[in-house]
Amino acid sequence: MNPWRRAASTAALMGAAMASAAALPAQTPETCREHRRFGRLQEASACYQRLAASKDPYLRAEGYWGLGRHMDANDAFREAVQAQPKNPDYRVRWGRMFLERMQPADAQALFLEALEIKDPHAGAILGLALVASDGFEARGGELARKALEADPKLTEAHVLLATLALQESNYEKAQEHADKALAIDPNALEAMAIFATIDLLEDKSSPPSLARIVQINPVYGEVYATAGRFFVLNRRYEEAVALYRKALELNPGLHKARAELGLNLMRLGYAAEARKHLELCWEAGERYAAVGNPLRLLDSDKNFRYIRSGNLVLKLHEREAEVLQPFVEEEARRAVQTLEKKYRVKLTRPVQVELYPDHEDFAVRTLGMPGMSGALGVTFGYTVAMDSPSSRKPGELHWASTLWHELSHVYTISATSSRVPRWFTEGMAVYEETAVSPDWGDRLSAPVIFAIRDKKLLPVAQLDRGFVHPESPEQVLVSYYQAGKICNFIEQKWGFEKLLEMLRGFGARKTTPEVVREALGLAPEEFDKQFTAWIEEQTRVTVEGFEKWKKGMGRVAELVKAGRYEEVIREAPAIRDLYPEYVEGGNLYEVIADSYLALKNERAAAEELQRYARAGGRNPQALKKLAQLLEQQGRPREAIEALQRLNWIYPRDEELQRRLGDLLMAQGDAQGAVRAYRAVVAMKPLDRAAAHYNLARAYKAAGQNAAASDQVLMALEAAPGFRPAQKLLLELEAAGDGRTASK
Amino acid sequence: MRLLLAGLICAASMQAATWYVTVAGLGGEPDYEQRFQAWAMTIDNILRGSRTDARIETLTGAQATRERVRQVLERAAQESRPEDSIVVMLIGHGTFDGSEYKLALPGPDISASELGALLNKNRAERQLVVNMTSSSGASLEALRKEGRIVIAATKSGTQRNVTVFPRYWAEALRDPSADTDKNEAISALEAFRYASAKTAAFYEGQRRLATEHPVIDDAGTGAGVRDPSGEKGEGRLAAAFTLLRFGAAQAAAQDPAKQKLLARREQIEQEIDRLKYQKAAIPADEYKKELTKLLLELARVQEEIEK
Repeated sequence: MNPWRRAASTAALMGAAMASAAALPAQTPETCREHRRFGRLQEASACYQRLAASKDPYLRAEGYWGLGRHMDANDAFREAVQAQPKNPDYRVRWGRMFLERMQPADAQALFLEALEIKDPHAGAILGLALVASDGFEARGGELARKALEADPKLTEAHVLLATLALQESNYEKAQEHADKALAIDPNALEAMAIFATIDLLEDKSSPPSLARIVQINPVYGEVYATAGRFFVLNRRYEEAVALYRKALELNPGLHKARAELGLNLMRLGYAAEARKHLELCWEAGERYAAVGNPLRLLDSDKNFRYIRSGNLVLKLHEREAEVLQPFVEEEARRAVQTLEKKYRVKLTRPVQVELYPDHEDFAVRTLGMPGMSGALGVTFGYTVAMDSPSSRKPGELHWASTLWHELSHVYTISATSSRVPRWFTEGMAVYEETAVSPDWGDRLSAPVIFAIRDKKLLPVAQLDRGFVHPESPEQVLVSYYQAGKICNFIEQKWGFEKLLEMLRGFGARKTTPEVVREALGLAPEEFDKQFTAWIEEQTRVTVEGFEKWKKGMGRVAELVKAGRYEEVIREAPAIRDLYPEYVEGGNLYEVIADSYLALKNERAAAEELQRYARAGGRNPQALKKLAQLLEQQGRPREAIEALQRLNWIYPRDEELQRRLGDLLMAQGDAQGAVRAYRAVVAMKPLDRAAAHYNLARAYKAAGQNAAASDQVLMALEAAPGFRPAQKLLLELEAAGDGRTASK
Repeated sequence: MRLLLAGLICAASMQAATWYVTVAGLGGEPDYEQRFQAWAMTIDNILRGSRTDARIETLTGAQATRERVRQVLERAAQESRPEDSIVVMLIGHGTFDGSEYKLALPGPDISASELGALLNKNRAERQLVVNMTSSSGASLEALRKEGRIVIAATKSGTQRNVTVFPRYWAEALRDPSADTDKNEAISALEAFRYASAKTAAFYEGQRRLATEHPVIDDAGTGAGVRDPSGEKGEGRLAAAFTLLRFGAAQAAAQDPAKQKLLARREQIEQEIDRLKYQKAAIPADEYKKELTKLLLELARVQEEIEK
């Protein structure tokens, strides 16, 4: 759900439908709304009740809607539209109700129908603008401006533009639009709420705009709800929660604010209180997905295991906790120790790391709604929620890279008391991924290549826009890449200390242009110039050679199809090197390796696959193949290295852990083998006997005979006639370990 | 799965034979044709490499006609004795029109009821049909017979997509990890469990909704189960049906001098089984102590057998 829509006016909801309502002398929707606007809630309720008793289906619809009887309102709207099929206003109002009820697709259909009847129709265009802004689509602003062309006095459109500007942290522009709204309607509370929000974001304790709002409407809790949404956007979750509480103190009937409070409490890990608020919403009839889904997710909490480990709390699903715990715990601890040192930040409480094997659960955890197919992880203060490796196809997710990315947010946000702009915290997070290992993090993708080629990278001062209001889904990807590379550029040119200095600048509430000027001594425009030259040079071979690479890929595919492997080996490397970061499906590293294998040149195939791994290749099959080749060539240590990469990608792989365990055992790394074989046992393999036996061997080699005895007994319990286990049992017995003693 | 000693002795002394009939049906497309043939040939190679006492017939490509299938099964019916075993493995596209299952073959197809009738003529008391085709779940009813084990790659006739189950069935016959009780023999139940688990893992790994759910019926009910429960009498026949043996188990079973030790081994194994059955009722320490004692004795007897 996009909360911004509700930042727009409820007072101006009527749009063109007002014309028909104004014709009514007694109770009109306008009158009811005015009562509500000025805080006369009892009068508003009585007014809506009278409307609900009207014979006019449209008025009845408005009455029911005002009373929160949405099903009745829906029926009445249908009746009104059937009675007057050529009336666009009814459809717009009906659409607005759908929008309020979190059904943007239905709302959009009604707005489009209204436009088919009358074009332009300011209310319908505004409705589309609200739908677009609901989905953070860049065209929301464009549509709001169109609505203003159709009706320059449409207060709500100005408020929406102010909201959109504020989402991009453009306070000046937000104030400008809010002022325009107030010039049309001096009592536009939603416009005043924009001013109040800016003041609160700037930590002003008693904003004058708030006092003015209270004078007009003493129960206008919406102002705090509006501010809460912006605090959420700025990742200031704890403060957002406090604002939602204030909203409900003023008006406990603000169900949407309560639902948002519940969701944000859930995000922060306060499950019990989150449930209380969400249940209250549900009972009050707010039975839409953004309330129901989080409740269902909270119900499923019993399926998760909480593991406390030092200053970490891991939340892992029962069905994979045994396997993942050692890997996640080790990596999270390594990340926390490293980042704490780098950022010189001591966390004041434990960080909770949650891994969801079902991506939709992760999405609900994050937004309250399923979806978010591209998102892998998210950080709420001291809580990191992310997809677990099993939520995606093996090779699709480098979970360790994602974990470092998210944990770095904890530090940058904490270091700046949540004042870091989105682009910088994302940039640092991307930077930290590749700082762990160059093959981690995201690769140079086609949208980034095109953006660099077409000079579409955003100026640093406007880079937040690429995250908040992207012009296309690709722009988000490009912005992540650009932000990460900006941090690389700064680190290379000025050193890591400058990045810390910038963080301090953001913490002191300075804007991006101010921070760039002060920390780097450059005007933002000059910085953009230097960065552009740097990134163009970094990517020149690929950007210039992209078309040639594409053509070359086609040529290689033909050669492979024809079985002309010698030619593949001759021609493909030059094509591969035009775009060395391409490691996705059909990449030339694997094609070349396969060609070498077809020609029985295993050594060259292994070298090519090693090149693939170093370039960031993550296909488990290819990496396993590499390990196999290295093992066959008597290079066990390199084989181990190849397989260990997969622990960061898809550790829940029985074959991987078994092979890794075997190799580590053969190399005398008994503790490493114990970890791998424990993972096999935790996966409850079909061949339980062999799994327990291998673990027993590893324990014995590690000198842990008691644990070895337990495991060998489990192996033999599953398969009493298992000879190698029988032999081990006799050995342990002969060694005099008490645990196996039958005496 | 462990074999009953009586069964082993019987098998050794009476030279019981096992018939393996594998049919790879019509692929329709070169890719499927190749895939079906490859799976059938893999099974064929494994069987030929491990069983000297076996009668192996593998029909693929143009050979796999209804006529040829009938001839092979009729000959098996004429030559089989009650102590023999027969294993029929079907790979390919199966169809189900709502009333009848058919295996697609070059020329006329063959129906499950026809296959059932041919197998009914066979005197071998131990019969296993592994129908690994799409829609194979629809063949269970027509193939069911008391004492016959029927495995299907799909739970019903409506699961129409090409199956991957045969790939893992073939794998089960050569992967030592399929031998979960480590008795150096692969039973029909072990192979079924192995192939089922691998099939499920295949779909999980691909993040795809599974379009096949393998089932087994060895209780003659015509209703397959996905996870046979011994307590309900499911899977017992399949556990005792040896598909393949390898290693020392085969040699020991045929050595009369070891019969006493084998008998003692079986006795201990039965004691272990009894103990495991009582596990929940015995204090953990006591259970462990008793189990250790029995396992140590078993290990020592096994050493004697191998001397």
